[in-house]
Amino acid sequence: MSDFNPVTLFFILSEAMGGWLWLLVVLALVLLGGIVYGLARLRRAGRPAKRPLTAAIAVGLVATAIFTLLMPAWTLAGLDAFASALDVAGAILLALVPGAMIAALVFTLASLRCAARGPRPQLS
Amino acid sequence: MNRRRFLLGSGGAAMLAGLSAAMPSQAAAQTSDARARIVIAGAGAAGLAMAARLRRGMPNATVTIIDAKKEHHFQPGFTLVGAGLWTPGHVTERNADYMPRGVDWIEEAVAEFDPDANAVVTTSGRKVDYDFLIVATGLKLDYTAIEGMDASLIGKEGIASIYAGPAEAAASAAAIDRFVASGGVGLFGRPAGEMKCAGAPLKITFITDDKARRQGRRGAVELIYNAHGTGVFAVPPVNDKVKEMFSARGVAVNYGHVLKAIDPGAKKATYKTEAGDVTLDYDFIHVVPPMRAPDAVRASPLPWQEGNLAADGWVEADKPTLRHPRYANVFAVGDIAGVPRGKTAASVKWQVPVVADNLIAETAGRAASAAYNGYTSCPMVTGYGKAMLIEFDYDGTLIPSFPFIDPLKELWVSWLIEEKGLLGAYRAMLRGRA
Repeated sequence: MSDFNPVTLFFILSEAMGGWLWLLVVLALVLLGGIVYGLARLRRAGRPAKRPLTAAIAVGLVATAIFTLLMPAWTLAGLDAFASALDVAGAILLALVPGAMIAALVFTLASLRCAARGPRPQLS
Repeated sequence: MNRRRFLLGSGGAAMLAGLSAAMPSQAAAQTSDARARIVIAGAGAAGLAMAARLRRGMPNATVTIIDAKKEHHFQPGFTLVGAGLWTPGHVTERNADYMPRGVDWIEEAVAEFDPDANAVVTTSGRKVDYDFLIVATGLKLDYTAIEGMDASLIGKEGIASIYAGPAEAAASAAAIDRFVASGGVGLFGRPAGEMKCAGAPLKITFITDDKARRQGRRGAVELIYNAHGTGVFAVPPVNDKVKEMFSARGVAVNYGHVLKAIDPGAKKATYKTEAGDVTLDYDFIHVVPPMRAPDAVRASPLPWQEGNLAADGWVEADKPTLRHPRYANVFAVGDIAGVPRGKTAASVKWQVPVVADNLIAETAGRAASAAYNGYTSCPMVTGYGKAMLIEFDYDGTLIPSFPFIDPLKELWVSWLIEEKGLLGAYRAMLRGRA
């Protein structure tokens, strides 16, 4: 693995995906922007990020699990193709990509909804 | 740009980190100002990758590629076409799309090599002089060396062969389906001489076995692998593993059997053995033709003059540098190189930077120090969704790129690299970027 370098990686990705690579990059940036915006709205509304974060992690984990099971089909194989823990780990790693994107989307939406409710009432 | 292409790449950085290591090494960012005339004979994987690297590394040089071929085939994908998973369109592209800017492309074949005069002659009689020649012609599939065999028979009379091209690989997939449906005896094997992707005959055997099992038809088919020598693969640990797998899956093996003749009408195949000719009946046969240097190379002074690589006309080359020992300004890369191993796309990935870097260094007055270790890789497909990522060097020593992947274990991650990863890496290689 000594020859691993980001430039080679970029060109492989670029050749594999073509224009979709840039669409994915834009999507990632939009989702990142959504997270930052959601956090800012929560802070302005004086509400903690705990609930949106919990929702994002829960949905993200479920999405990752579903995509993990779909990975063999993506490679034109069946679930019986998983022959070792390494296979499952590899599939989880790949499934984390869509899982994280869905989690980011859920976090953004949940943050905005939470922030729209206004400041948390103080107990006195 | 389509959905498949999107999906192909959407696996993310994790997988590609792996792929990058499988097909590694960016060229050293050194250049040469030499105004050399470089001729590359052949626009296959090796020729295009070499042109891309030399174009960038030697900006003042004249780089000329000579090849009549318009289509470019991703040959590592032929197995998956033969498995019925990919279509021919998946492995067919245009050479023009990968021809580097600033490279002169003469759309003819080389008819004659004249290394004594530092020139090649094209099929139209055009003489092209050079200071350096890169021989990257690929090889010739010699189906007619098997008596009664012709490439036009592929897909008919139970005959398959995934080597001849994408359409023939697809026809082979259909032939496998018919065989599995009708049952009978299936014969597999390989030629005696050097060949490209020596794992492919084994892969197609495994695929046929797996397809029959998945369709509940394994009991209806008898699979026989006819090995040309005393083993099924040249690398001992791989040989042992495959023999063990064949045994477990009920694939019989005949050793010392080289296909000599075929009678498509009677469905009989004759093999040359130490005990004399042996004729076997078949319902299905996967034919792997003898492979040789193209005629123009064989007729030139470039091939080995003696030794086991001489008969088929492989270009004489120094193992670490791929430089011709008798013509110092000639190099051989890819399938045509007369070195042990090295007839895979992954080998090209390692050969091309060595020759390009050394040529750039030498013409710039620097010491040429890059060396090729014989790296050859074969993602050995052992069934639908499973493969073994086998990598080895000249000595037959396994040299896995990833310490966490056991090369002798059937894994989905190895299949993932084969099915999803290699094409992008291959394309990047053609552009001299991987």
